[in-house]
Amino acid sequence: MSLLNRFLTVPTTDPDDTRRRRILNILVVSVGLVILLTLLASFAMILLKVESWGNLSLLVISCIVGIFAMLATYLMNTFWSGRVAAIVFLVFFNLVLAFSDTPEELSVGRSLFYFVIPIIMASILLAPWSSFIFSSISSIIISVIAASIGSVPNIPAISGFFVVALVSWLSARSLEHALKELRAINANLDQVVIDRTQALAESLQRERVEAGRNQAILNSIADGVVVFDRKWNAILANPALKSMLDLPIELIVNKNFRDLIEHPRLSPRSRGLLYAMMEHDTQPPSFRIEWGRKTLSISAAQVYGNSADGNTNLGTVTVFRDFTREAEVEKLKSTFVAIVSHELRTPLNAILGYAEMFKESVYGPMNDKQINMAERIMKNTQRLLGLINDLLDQAQMEAGKLTVQMAPFKPADLLENIHGVMDQLVHEKGLRLTSEIEDNLPEIINGDAARLQQILVNLVNNAVKFTDHGTVHVRLFCPHASRWGFEVADTGRGIPESELPYIFDTFRQVEGPTTRAHGGFGLGLSIVKQLVSLMDGEIRVKSKVDRGSTFTINLPLVIPETDTEKRRTP
Amino acid sequence: MSALALIIEDDEDLAQIFAEALRGVGFKVESVVDGQTAQERLKKGPVPYLILLDMHIPHISGGDLLTNIIRKDKQLSKVIVIITTADARMGEAYTELADFVMIKPISFIQLRDLTSRLKPKE
Repeated sequence: MSLLNRFLTVPTTDPDDTRRRRILNILVVSVGLVILLTLLASFAMILLKVESWGNLSLLVISCIVGIFAMLATYLMNTFWSGRVAAIVFLVFFNLVLAFSDTPEELSVGRSLFYFVIPIIMASILLAPWSSFIFSSISSIIISVIAASIGSVPNIPAISGFFVVALVSWLSARSLEHALKELRAINANLDQVVIDRTQALAESLQRERVEAGRNQAILNSIADGVVVFDRKWNAILANPALKSMLDLPIELIVNKNFRDLIEHPRLSPRSRGLLYAMMEHDTQPPSFRIEWGRKTLSISAAQVYGNSADGNTNLGTVTVFRDFTREAEVEKLKSTFVAIVSHELRTPLNAILGYAEMFKESVYGPMNDKQINMAERIMKNTQRLLGLINDLLDQAQMEAGKLTVQMAPFKPADLLENIHGVMDQLVHEKGLRLTSEIEDNLPEIINGDAARLQQILVNLVNNAVKFTDHGTVHVRLFCPHASRWGFEVADTGRGIPESELPYIFDTFRQVEGPTTRAHGGFGLGLSIVKQLVSLMDGEIRVKSKVDRGSTFTINLPLVIPETDTEKRRTP
Repeated sequence: MSALALIIEDDEDLAQIFAEALRGVGFKVESVVDGQTAQERLKKGPVPYLILLDMHIPHISGGDLLTNIIRKDKQLSKVIVIITTADARMGEAYTELADFVMIKPISFIQLRDLTSRLKPKE
């Protein structure tokens, strides 16, 4: 059934020639079959003696000729020219018609309508207009037949042929137009599909190239990169991260950051830092964590994308950098500084001690010049020791080892001590050191007395260093119940406004390194500032060139519950 | 008869300076240079009146000497102990066990003044 169906199907999208050839084949085969059946029926009748051979011999021969003609037409149509085959078929058809009945019947009787068939066929098989040619041929044939029997041509039939030709022409033509348009639409559609497919393939290719390039970039970065979505699920990580953390990638990607934070290799402090990073949108630009034996530096950046309702947070890109070596070097550096400082201090202590022994005339009386020399040795040694202390403090601060020890102390002792330490120097320079303490400052408060003393000595020392005439004034104050502080004001040369933002920087002095007229590493104020922040306080400076500077330190005020004082010297 | 002071200090020069300071105020001075010798000395021989103990000494640290020997031995219970250290935090840690803490650098004059106040009244 499907074979027959396939044989009878004429695809509308085929070109005209192909379609006509197909239709012709259908017709040829159908006509061939009819002829074959007629032939078989004739044989049957002869065999059954219904009709004699004599009556049917012409029909049988015609049928055999017809079968061969159909076969020839079929082959010609299939392998050579459809057009020629169609003409041959139609001419043959007309010939058969011309002899298919008696001349009377053909020209005016029952068989006259046969001649309509080739007209319609021609419009389908050759071209729409060929119906007119075959209506002419049919007219000529019936006229010739009529003439052969002495009759006049059948004019109404001939005009009928032309009407049929007209109708066939119109219908075949509109069919062909419709098919043509359909084919054009189809072709257009095909082109569109081709274009779209091409574009899609190209964009896919581009995307693949782009993605490949991004992946290659990500893969070749030495830093570990992991991208989190808004809920802190890791959506992407590069191989560097995998090797840095020494974890299979499955334990990183498609996991929540919390799973990674809970990993036992992470130190508790680092865990806290990472949770803080997750919970707060504002993080420090970078911070360090300990992962097993490694020190990793982490920086995280929020990713924002444009959407209808403005900028939306898409997630976070986190970059891990292996900081192990740098951390080791830093640690080594501070150890080195600590050892060097300690090793320098011991001989300096000895020099200081021997000089003091000279001064005190331990081994016999000394004259004034000798005593003066011993004092100079002592003073210079003290200076050197001060510098080493600064270096050691700085190293400890960098290593995060410096802490403040809070204990009850008397603020008034600070002033007493500063006079003890500085009075002589102030006197030698012809300056005055004055001090006052506000009445509302409690007598005993909590604080790191040694560090506070260090801060005060540093500030007063600086003030004396940069003041040529006048006074250095120290004031302890208590602005309200929860704060206290002190200020050191001098009448010295002051600090230019352009330098004010930098005076607390490490190794910084107002003079450049080659033009410095004053000794010291420039660590003093930097250490003061760091100590003050360790105590949760703040330091401010006001200064006018040639009018003097005022450093003000403001600290939280804590009054001890019981004033247990410890014996402690010095 | 003058009181005995024991100086436990590994730096020869500092030991000498400390010794001069203590002698200057009338102490009889004995010096040892490491923790091991100090431990042996403390177990026998006359009980010192005052010990000047450096925290950073070889073999047995000053902290261990103070915690495990000096403060455990009943005979030594009345000894005045001055610890010397360059590390202020270390000094802080031993304020309970020591009578005095001196942070290095230690001044000859300071030590002399302190010990002259501490020496037994004649």
